[in-house]
Amino acid sequence: MTIIRRDPHAPHCPPIDKMRDLIHVDCASHTYPDGSVGIHDMCFYVLKEEIVALCGPNGSGKSTLLEHLNGLLTPSQGDVWVNGRSITHGERSDLWKDVGVVFQRSDDQLFAPTVLDDVMFGPLNLGLSHDDAEAAAMSALEGVGAADLVQKLPNYLSGGQKRLVSIAGVLAMKPKIMVLDEPTSDLDPLHSERVERLILRFKREYGISVVIATHDLDLAARIADRVCLVKNGSVFAEGTPAEVFYNPVLIEEAGLALPQTVRIYLDYCKAQGREPGQQPIRREELIRALQSSPSLKSDR
Amino acid sequence: MSSTMISSHIPDLDLITSYAQREGTFFSRVSPWTKFTGLFLVVLLITLTRNLVICGVLYLIILGVYASAGLPVKKLFAWYTLPVLFVISLVGIMVWTEPGTPLFSWDLGLVTLTLTDNGVILIFTLLLKALISVTYSLFFLMTTRYQHFSAMIYRIFPAPLDQIFLLAYRFLFLTLSMTGAIFKAVRSRGGGIIRSIRVQGRIFAEVFALVFIRSFDRAERVHQAMIARGYNGKYEAGTVIPKPGFSGIFLMSAFACAIAIIVLGMPNPGGFF
Repeated sequence: MTIIRRDPHAPHCPPIDKMRDLIHVDCASHTYPDGSVGIHDMCFYVLKEEIVALCGPNGSGKSTLLEHLNGLLTPSQGDVWVNGRSITHGERSDLWKDVGVVFQRSDDQLFAPTVLDDVMFGPLNLGLSHDDAEAAAMSALEGVGAADLVQKLPNYLSGGQKRLVSIAGVLAMKPKIMVLDEPTSDLDPLHSERVERLILRFKREYGISVVIATHDLDLAARIADRVCLVKNGSVFAEGTPAEVFYNPVLIEEAGLALPQTVRIYLDYCKAQGREPGQQPIRREELIRALQSSPSLKSDR
Repeated sequence: MSSTMISSHIPDLDLITSYAQREGTFFSRVSPWTKFTGLFLVVLLITLTRNLVICGVLYLIILGVYASAGLPVKKLFAWYTLPVLFVISLVGIMVWTEPGTPLFSWDLGLVTLTLTDNGVILIFTLLLKALISVTYSLFFLMTTRYQHFSAMIYRIFPAPLDQIFLLAYRFLFLTLSMTGAIFKAVRSRGGGIIRSIRVQGRIFAEVFALVFIRSFDRAERVHQAMIARGYNGKYEAGTVIPKPGFSGIFLMSAFACAIAIIVLGMPNPGGFF
């Protein structure tokens, strides 16, 4: 895969491939009632069992796009296809069954008296019996490692626990696609790592496609299969994490900062006075790259 | 003082809920239906009687029950401020028209206000009635787990009242925490220092407006998050409420009988003594 650059002023979205695309956003624009433009000429797609990271600074339109994927918003222009169905022209009332959304602020999501009641909310809306909904909720809570919180009140949970319960609330509905808005923001490193591992597990064990909106490029570098850079309400470039993050011009254009791994490797190569030969993205790749570096080998 | 507490004289919802979630005490294991029946009977008794002695005895019993449940008595007395102020503001008008033996007269020129013995008794009776209902309500709330309480609301109230109550719980906490955070931010920049009524009034008005706008925004986001999980206007409380045991039924039946005897058996149940 090579970096695909899109011109927001002359967009050209590839046509939908219903066999391939779980989500296909076709030149969608959304204008809020106050006249502000949330997204415009947005081209975006998600494949089966793929983790896509939408990266962009605050206010770039990531959250607006995410709300289109679940039918919470409909495009003013263009079209959004989910699982082969157009949400703009067709029925979107049961879209929530396919696309689960984990909101940025868990306090917006957790409303029920207890954790169990909250996680059961989705399965009950799916029409499951009380016992089946409870079983689905318990299974989801065990899946995220929060089964011990089952009788707790959401008000007394820590930020990290609230995030895990929010994720369980969506996982219990067994969605095909999971959309997470800033999944690790405001979390301590341990909970961030837990959420990261969970996202990888959703893809591996449950076959769920995941879309994350984040301005944490380190997170995107570690878990994403594909990175889409968003600026001013439009995806202007996309590619694999290595392709995108080893393009400092692109990252600067997006108004973001290079991931730590990339920065360390590039600084190291610069200090050594040589061209970067590899493109390490994850920590273990960086360690391997540094270990295989000629200067380090000669030091030994 | 918890983060959501605005004043020590206003019942702290956080504290009330944290006591309610404890499972170790005897009263927290009693069926919520038994305690709710108790609340109904207590309200019935104080509605039917004007007897100061009965009210006094009932208040002492309920205060004893409250204390024996391990609930904070000092805080309870601080929380009495609002009901006491409410009763005094109400009785302050009624007390001067009460017939009886005059104790004190106040000549205002156009009218003369006279305080009678029955007027004084009325003050204490109404105060006790208010404190009884407040103490028992707090005892009920602080010994009943929230999930049971909300499930009871779901079963007792018709739609949409049940939905409003059920959703209000989390929202109330969030709004209180938001208000607390704004007040902290105001105080942290010297905003808590009283300079003038005008300045202070403006600050309170601004905080109120901000809380209103943010609450509205928050409500919108909570609603969206619910729709994202298939909310269709009906939320069901799934918690099973423990049924009352034999001892609970017996105790409440005995209490109901006692009320009947007190009200029907006394020569003057509506009298002050």
